[in-house]
Amino acid sequence: MDSFLSGVAQIFTLATLIYMLAGSVAGIVAAAIPGFTVTMAIVLTLPLTFTMEPLQGIAVMLSVYVGGYTGGLISAALLGIPGTPSSVATTFDAFPMARRGEPGRALSLGVWASFFGTVISTVVLIVAAPPLAMFAVKLGPWEYFSLIVFALTIVASLVGDSVIRGMLAGLIGLAISTVGADPIMGRPRFDFGIEMLVSGLPFLVVLIGIFAISQLTSEVEDAKSVRSGNALVTGAIDFQTWKVMKEVLLRPVNLIRSSIVGVLIGALPGAGGSIANLVAYDQAKRNSKDPDSFGKGNPDGVVASEAGNSATAGGGLIPLIGLGIPGSAVDAILMASLMVHGISVGPRLIMDHADLVYGMFVAMAVASLMMLVVSVLSMRLFLRVAEVPKWLIVPVVMVCCVVGSFALNNRVTDLYLLGFIGVAGYALRALGYSLAPLVLGVILGPIAETNLRRALMTDADPSLFVTRPISLIFLIAAVLSIAWAIRGHLKHRKTSGRSTDASAS
Amino acid sequence: MSETGYDKKLAREAGEIARLLSYVLILFASVGLFLSAAGIPTSRFEKLGAGAFPKIVFAGIALVAVIAIIDALRKIPAGAYGRFAAQTCAWARRRYLVFVTLAALAVYLILIPVLGFSIASFLFILALELVLMPRRPATLLIAVIVAAVFSFGLNWLFAEVFTVFLPRGVL
Repeated sequence: MDSFLSGVAQIFTLATLIYMLAGSVAGIVAAAIPGFTVTMAIVLTLPLTFTMEPLQGIAVMLSVYVGGYTGGLISAALLGIPGTPSSVATTFDAFPMARRGEPGRALSLGVWASFFGTVISTVVLIVAAPPLAMFAVKLGPWEYFSLIVFALTIVASLVGDSVIRGMLAGLIGLAISTVGADPIMGRPRFDFGIEMLVSGLPFLVVLIGIFAISQLTSEVEDAKSVRSGNALVTGAIDFQTWKVMKEVLLRPVNLIRSSIVGVLIGALPGAGGSIANLVAYDQAKRNSKDPDSFGKGNPDGVVASEAGNSATAGGGLIPLIGLGIPGSAVDAILMASLMVHGISVGPRLIMDHADLVYGMFVAMAVASLMMLVVSVLSMRLFLRVAEVPKWLIVPVVMVCCVVGSFALNNRVTDLYLLGFIGVAGYALRALGYSLAPLVLGVILGPIAETNLRRALMTDADPSLFVTRPISLIFLIAAVLSIAWAIRGHLKHRKTSGRSTDASAS
Repeated sequence: MSETGYDKKLAREAGEIARLLSYVLILFASVGLFLSAAGIPTSRFEKLGAGAFPKIVFAGIALVAVIAIIDALRKIPAGAYGRFAAQTCAWARRRYLVFVTLAALAVYLILIPVLGFSIASFLFILALELVLMPRRPATLLIAVIVAAVFSFGLNWLFAEVFTVFLPRGVL
């Protein structure tokens, strides 16, 4: 109880609340800009939080996170372009609704659904994370290693269109993590005589290069669309805030189902908002009495998509707090921000830093409330944001990336590394490798290695990995997830192969 | 032919070949690094040394890359290799802005320590804006203002508020 109050006290200081407010606004604005993803916004927030207290920093990043899941709604509803991948399903119904002359209703529906989705997921998080951590501290290094293997295989099989490239990306991430001193003995590896590499590749620079630079570069792929402007939905916008709140609350089944879908998918490593919104939408459509009206401006579609993607925010924190394993790239960045402050993230987090964990719960709740207030009060202004053209965004955000990578260590060599990784990241993206497994590989690599070696130092018998029951379960689950993904992939290829043949003939 | 002016099917074939090349590259790199990891001395205090985990990872990469190569070879029709060079050139021409952007970024990163953050950033933003923007006089003013704010303004913000001093340059 003491630590709960201490967490609350740390959140409810004026400075923290102001920073969080700024974070919410930044998250909404960033996600409203097409081509600027939530992940990018959080990566760029990270360097700004170095000077803050750990809880303050993570509270700001949570505000950006929660705000970001809502901001994608603005361009999805008004332009029909998902501002972030997590609002793809929102375009299906919110855009037709806006075109039909109800843009205000579409936006308000999305905002309220996001708010309730976040709140529901926070409640689940508070209930689920502590027992999970209690269970996880009992796990030995064998179980932990197997759990990480499982986490990586499921990421590789869920994200992207190719299992094999997903696995390669995850393994490359692990390989990147082995550069520098080894985690147990401190012996230097793979530094090739370059001084910068002795301490390992700086994680933040890798993140910015992989996510932000490659994303920005891919925004300018199509020369025609860069140089053209987008026409916004015009006409009077009436938000009808309170009426819509009632409308959302009158769909409790859809709201709760979509939120639970979001929480579950968020808790699964690798799958985040970008999958949750589509699954929640699909579920809502299947269970609707009137499935044909979906895609034509059905409010249930907007509610499902937005509640689903917002609920992944809380869901993704469950494995992070309970197990010390990030559920998505964004959670990996949150984990990195704690590690920068010297806090080791694992199942003991909730015991050693209870105030921090409770503070995170409170921050989630506060952030969702702030997101609601900010969006309701200033939606009209954010409409302008969606109009910002790409030719302004790309150079400006690239400069922000450079500042962010420099600010961590004040080293000019980090900038060269940023350029190199940015080019490599773009090449991988252009070749169809998914980058999320790579980032998770980078962050999980040292944990996997430490546990593997610790297990074998405790007992030299490697068969313990398959004879200890929980470890075995994780390994079987890992094999199953790969097998399942390959099966789904083959099935998909058969059908898509047939359809392309048909169109070619 | 599709409406965008190029053949999607041929482009996809070329993409598969490019992927095949990337698998081969990854395979060679992983084998090389595996051998280099084998050279890391082991400690007598533990069964696995500092080199063991990297060796596992690189062996894994090599294995997956071999599977990927076999899979890709099966998929690519024989005639596709001859068209690869032409398709790659066409691809590069379609995405010329990508190369311009990356080249600008590279020049910018090299110039930062020379010119200092503010001047280098101003030039970089302005130059890239000029390349990317629709060429209308009204947008030029916005471009210059934005470039100034995010170079000199950002430098000021970081120095005064966050006390992070960005590179000054030697000039």
